[in-house]
Amino acid sequence: MATAPQMPLMRARWARSPFYFNSASHLLRIGKEKANCLQELLDAMRTCPDSSIFQHTFQTLEEHHFIKEGFSNDFAHWAFAACNEVELAERLSSIDIREFTSISTLRERLVQLTESHLQKNPRAATRQAMEPFYVMAADLVVIPTPYVARNLEEFADGMRKVSIHSIYYHFIDARLRLKLNSNDFSVWLDQELDMRQAGERLHQIDIYTSTLEGVRRSILKVIEGELARD
Amino acid sequence: MQKKDVEQKTLRRDGQDGAQATDGQNAAKVENELAEKPSPTLAPPGPRERRFRQTELPPHFIERRKHPRISTEPPPPAAPPRLEDYAPIIGRPELDEIRFLARQLQAKTVKMVNSTAVGGGVAEILNRLIPLLNELEIPTRWEVITGGNDFFEVTKGFHNALHGGDYHLTKQIQEIFLAYNEQNRQRMQFTEDLFVIHDPQPVGLIRSRSENRGRWIWRCHIDLSNPHRGVWDFLKPMVGQYDAAIFSAPAFSRQLGISQYLFFPSIDPLSEKNRDLDENYVNKVCDDFGVDRSRPIITQISRFDRLKDPVGVIEAYKLVKKYADCQLVLAGGGATDDPEGAVVLQEVMDAAGDDPDIIILNLPPWSALEINALQRASTVIVQKSLKEGFGLTVTEALWKKKPVVAGAVGGIPTQVIHKLTGVLVHSVEGCAYQIRYLLTHPEFAQQLGKNGREHAKENFLITVNLKRWLLLFQILLGMAKPSLPAKG
Repeated sequence: MATAPQMPLMRARWARSPFYFNSASHLLRIGKEKANCLQELLDAMRTCPDSSIFQHTFQTLEEHHFIKEGFSNDFAHWAFAACNEVELAERLSSIDIREFTSISTLRERLVQLTESHLQKNPRAATRQAMEPFYVMAADLVVIPTPYVARNLEEFADGMRKVSIHSIYYHFIDARLRLKLNSNDFSVWLDQELDMRQAGERLHQIDIYTSTLEGVRRSILKVIEGELARD
Repeated sequence: MQKKDVEQKTLRRDGQDGAQATDGQNAAKVENELAEKPSPTLAPPGPRERRFRQTELPPHFIERRKHPRISTEPPPPAAPPRLEDYAPIIGRPELDEIRFLARQLQAKTVKMVNSTAVGGGVAEILNRLIPLLNELEIPTRWEVITGGNDFFEVTKGFHNALHGGDYHLTKQIQEIFLAYNEQNRQRMQFTEDLFVIHDPQPVGLIRSRSENRGRWIWRCHIDLSNPHRGVWDFLKPMVGQYDAAIFSAPAFSRQLGISQYLFFPSIDPLSEKNRDLDENYVNKVCDDFGVDRSRPIITQISRFDRLKDPVGVIEAYKLVKKYADCQLVLAGGGATDDPEGAVVLQEVMDAAGDDPDIIILNLPPWSALEINALQRASTVIVQKSLKEGFGLTVTEALWKKKPVVAGAVGGIPTQVIHKLTGVLVHSVEGCAYQIRYLLTHPEFAQQLGKNGREHAKENFLITVNLKRWLLLFQILLGMAKPSLPAKG
């Protein structure tokens, strides 16, 4: 990684509470459900555990963090690649997980889109897919890192050093924990450093058209801009 | 000397540039040669006259192709890498996370059991994994079960039957299996905290479960998607007593009452097969085998086995060859010690005919460095399997940033996400078209290679698997509680 640019001397703004960078690792569990056609996928979407919906939407974004193109969740990818249902794939792919702060509302949306497509295209429901969809689930384990930020400079330093799994954990996975349409970084900047605008600019970073390394760069650009202003 | 030869030949070919070309340059040259023809469409074209001038091979290459310099003796074994050696590859934060997970397990002990100490994929994995676990101060002991010829005949029969083959399971066969498992169970001690039993051969050791409070894991490396019913029904009650089972693909798993986890097979980026190589060494290997680096090289690395469809690869190459001045390298082993392999090798040689640009290499098992070099020299890597387990040769190619054209079978679609980390094909014609497309679109090929490398780094490296083991150990010992998504 490139060395950090030299920042001008600044008066450190101290956070009321430090930011502890965590990371997360996950194990893939093989679920009991399997779909051989879209109707079976719909059934699985309705009944599978929350951890499976999480795996095939939130988690897959992390697993494929290096790809900017293609479908953004496993359901969409399978509808396209195994069922050749391009319209459904596009609709499922349009789901932006940032809009969801609970798995149940995300599940409802997935079910609703698939149901409505199958009502319009009943023959697609039972047409055999080219390969089955295996329902998986993620067991997520949170891992602390040594990086702690008490001011913006330390925050930027931590941001440069943590793994992309840490960025995923705080930036994407966070909204399910916080039940907020936000992320750990933005919330800390707002609540601990009174930097609401910077937090909002982080929130606007598009996770679908960037890799996670790209997200890291975008976050640093905002933070370094703030540091340069001070 | 070799470079001079290459330069002279390149000069003869395009009349301008004598410099040795890189992969991208090779592809760009092909693109120039094809510039006058319309863009390729999905329908493969019919036979046409060659549009390029076939390279005349210098005697040097012809001689090497007839008599490749294949090493006759295995090199001395390399020392296994230390965990720190992986830092430049996976990054410091990733290594820190592995160490953090291990720190909590440092007082715990592990026993791994399989059926062979040398040869075979499982032994290869354990040879790499166990030193890393010990380095992390998780004392890990590797034990190998013993048995007579009758036992190993039974387990070989089981292996084939679990892959879907016919089998007649008798009471006597069951007794042989159980008796040797019991004999091994009596011989071993089970005092550790965690037991990892690999594959079906030692599965009966689970009878020792009641003697201790350890956690038991069954790691199944084979494809159980279509097992012989009788054999699986015999083994299933034993598997059901474990705390967890691990499979290499969701499709390989069975309905079981225990937790099942997915661990992808992995490669070691520091092994001879995968470590970075000096460009001079790559050139030397190509020189030894008569591979011309100034022209595109299409390569399939696999043993000579019909399920790898080497003849299909030759057919695809012949379709490509109508449009591009390329070479095909088919390198693998298994034709020396396997009678069927020798038959397939002969079929491959017959299919190749007298085409001087098809280079067939029957390599000995100690050719990891040479295979590494051939993969690195390749412009496109093909794995046109008709049936496949996971396909670690695909992983190796992805790791080397090579564009991959592969059959959509077994574990390959997990690795090759169509048009993102490689391309999937279902026929000879499709294979040929995709090779042509990659040869004429070097930027696309390069992007596939880049994505493929990241995909391999994220999912299929030994360090990723090491982390998976640590996570599983923590979960099974109740040290880590998986955080499930918040209820909505």
